[in-house]
Amino acid sequence: MSTRARMLAAVRASQPAALPLPAVPLFEGEASVGKFTTVLESIGGQVVSLSHLNQLAATVALRYPSEYRVASALLRTTVAVNAATAATILESIDLAVLRGAFGVAENGSVWLPEAAMLHRALPTIAQHLVLVLDRRDLVATMHHAYGRLASQPGGYGIFLAGPSKTADIEQSLVIGAHGARSLTVLLC
Amino acid sequence: MSQSPTHAQRSDVFLLDAERTTWHDETLWFVRQKRDKAVYATPEFQELRQLASDIKDHTLSQLAEYLEQFEAAALANGVRVHWAADADEHNAIVLGIVRAAGASRVVKSKSMLTEECHLNPHLLANGVEVIDSDLGERIIQLRGEAPSHVVLPAIHLKKEDVGETFWQHLGTEKGLTDPQQLTEAARQHLREKFLAAEVAISGVNFAVAETGSVVVCTNEGNADLAIGLARVHIACMGMEKLLPRLSDLAVFTRLLTRSATGQPITTYTSHFTRPAPGKEMHVVIVNNGRSQQLGRPDFRASLKCIRCGACMNTCPVYRRSGGHSYDFTIPGPIGAILSPNIDMRQHVSLPFASTLCGSCTDVCPVKIDIHTQLYKWRQVLGAEGMLPASKKYSMKLLSRVLARPGLFKAGGVAARLGLRLVPHALSHAPGYNPWAIARELPAPPKQSFREWYAHQSSVSAK
Repeated sequence: MSTRARMLAAVRASQPAALPLPAVPLFEGEASVGKFTTVLESIGGQVVSLSHLNQLAATVALRYPSEYRVASALLRTTVAVNAATAATILESIDLAVLRGAFGVAENGSVWLPEAAMLHRALPTIAQHLVLVLDRRDLVATMHHAYGRLASQPGGYGIFLAGPSKTADIEQSLVIGAHGARSLTVLLC
Repeated sequence: MSQSPTHAQRSDVFLLDAERTTWHDETLWFVRQKRDKAVYATPEFQELRQLASDIKDHTLSQLAEYLEQFEAAALANGVRVHWAADADEHNAIVLGIVRAAGASRVVKSKSMLTEECHLNPHLLANGVEVIDSDLGERIIQLRGEAPSHVVLPAIHLKKEDVGETFWQHLGTEKGLTDPQQLTEAARQHLREKFLAAEVAISGVNFAVAETGSVVVCTNEGNADLAIGLARVHIACMGMEKLLPRLSDLAVFTRLLTRSATGQPITTYTSHFTRPAPGKEMHVVIVNNGRSQQLGRPDFRASLKCIRCGACMNTCPVYRRSGGHSYDFTIPGPIGAILSPNIDMRQHVSLPFASTLCGSCTDVCPVKIDIHTQLYKWRQVLGAEGMLPASKKYSMKLLSRVLARPGLFKAGGVAARLGLRLVPHALSHAPGYNPWAIARELPAPPKQSFREWYAHQSSVSAK
């Protein structure tokens, strides 16, 4: 008998009688820009309002040094990135500007699907990260968030909440462990 | 009596440094307080706990079916699925995948399962470089230690210890203790490893039967960076990690970090469903004693654990004895109910490493009855004849005395008299009275309760 068959048989022999699967209610909450901003800023991220998407390039230029090597599908950029880009090129990127699908107000996270990443490693290998989000795409809780995904999480996707951080050295919070050293959400 | 040192004996080592013990206690209590704030800010938190508990109970009751559903979905996504009955088989499968990829450099993100299986020594012995990429894990890997906590693996270390370790292994300046600078040094060192690795190994926080996805939660982004760059991703999961539906993740992602560190969610909550084009993704499903625990009705609920560490942060025994005193991959209250399932004799002292205060049960996000299970393990271990002689005979003696009122009365008189007459050095001799090693005995009362009660009734009769 294969390991698979033995494991499944052992599990079947040990399982208790079937118990019901509860329905999960759609817990409501505040889906406002204010709530999203407060939570994201409390975990080290920044939120900046854009009056229109056509201000994106100017806003990025204003906020980040001009010598930064930028990768983005939303701007004219200095580094072209796609799924086949070599790691040696990816590691030189200072800033990635990506489009988030929607934000979750209760925890300040933004759903970033694979299609918006250019390369799967880009959101973590870039030194700084900007996520562009439509303010109409804010939901209250994770229940609404998974409702937006239905049962289609895509090949790869992240709920990304703030910059990379760690508290592994004496519980001191340090921003910038392995991934992006800063995260700014531009709300338009 | 077991061969290996007991929890109490190992705790003695940790307790030698009183200042560090106090610091450890206070640090974990601070994390517990952060948990409380996050919980109180979530109005439906208790409802979510019940839902999580019910979802897990349901999943365990149909685990075989969900494992098959998960496998079918994962295969359809182009993921390769492997089954491992025990740690050796798990390690052989992982090594086989690494070898088939022609790889010799592996980066790992945090995984208690691979710790449980002792994967690192196996890979190293077979010529594979394996680097732990979570900062806390990397620190203890450089020091040759095991994690002392499931969420905060290096919580037993001070920044001076980390500075010393990095000076020795990463060439940082001697005496450097600034966490920001130490983290930066680790970032630079680990970036080289991420870029060079051919294979990335991760743990699995949750697996979704409906979609065949695995979900990995980190704050550092190390799993995403490693997996995004490497050609091969191996996700190692204990088979109890399954959830039926993608939407169930809403319940569990809301509970996990609020219970663990008081954060609203981990920085990266990453869903891996299909390999990137031209790359490989493997999932290794591991049993290693889990089906046996599933078959123990009293202890089955321990498989609902989502490894948030809340029971450790709140446990008065864990906080004052340190994770290493448990000598098991998962320390603290949850580890003390998981470990006797693996080896009763070796871990016989762990269910006694508790005050039975119930705080672990109160904070558990999936409502595991941890302190009840600790109590039940004590009964099982007693019935199996595994209690140490001192505990067994003193309990027997006590039960005989308590069953005979006359003997109890005489014993009381003797004890009250004896405690007054016996010299302190004898009544507190560690060999005879371990209870008094760090405690003062109460002053013996002048009369027994019975004498006092008899006196009361004569007073009221007047």
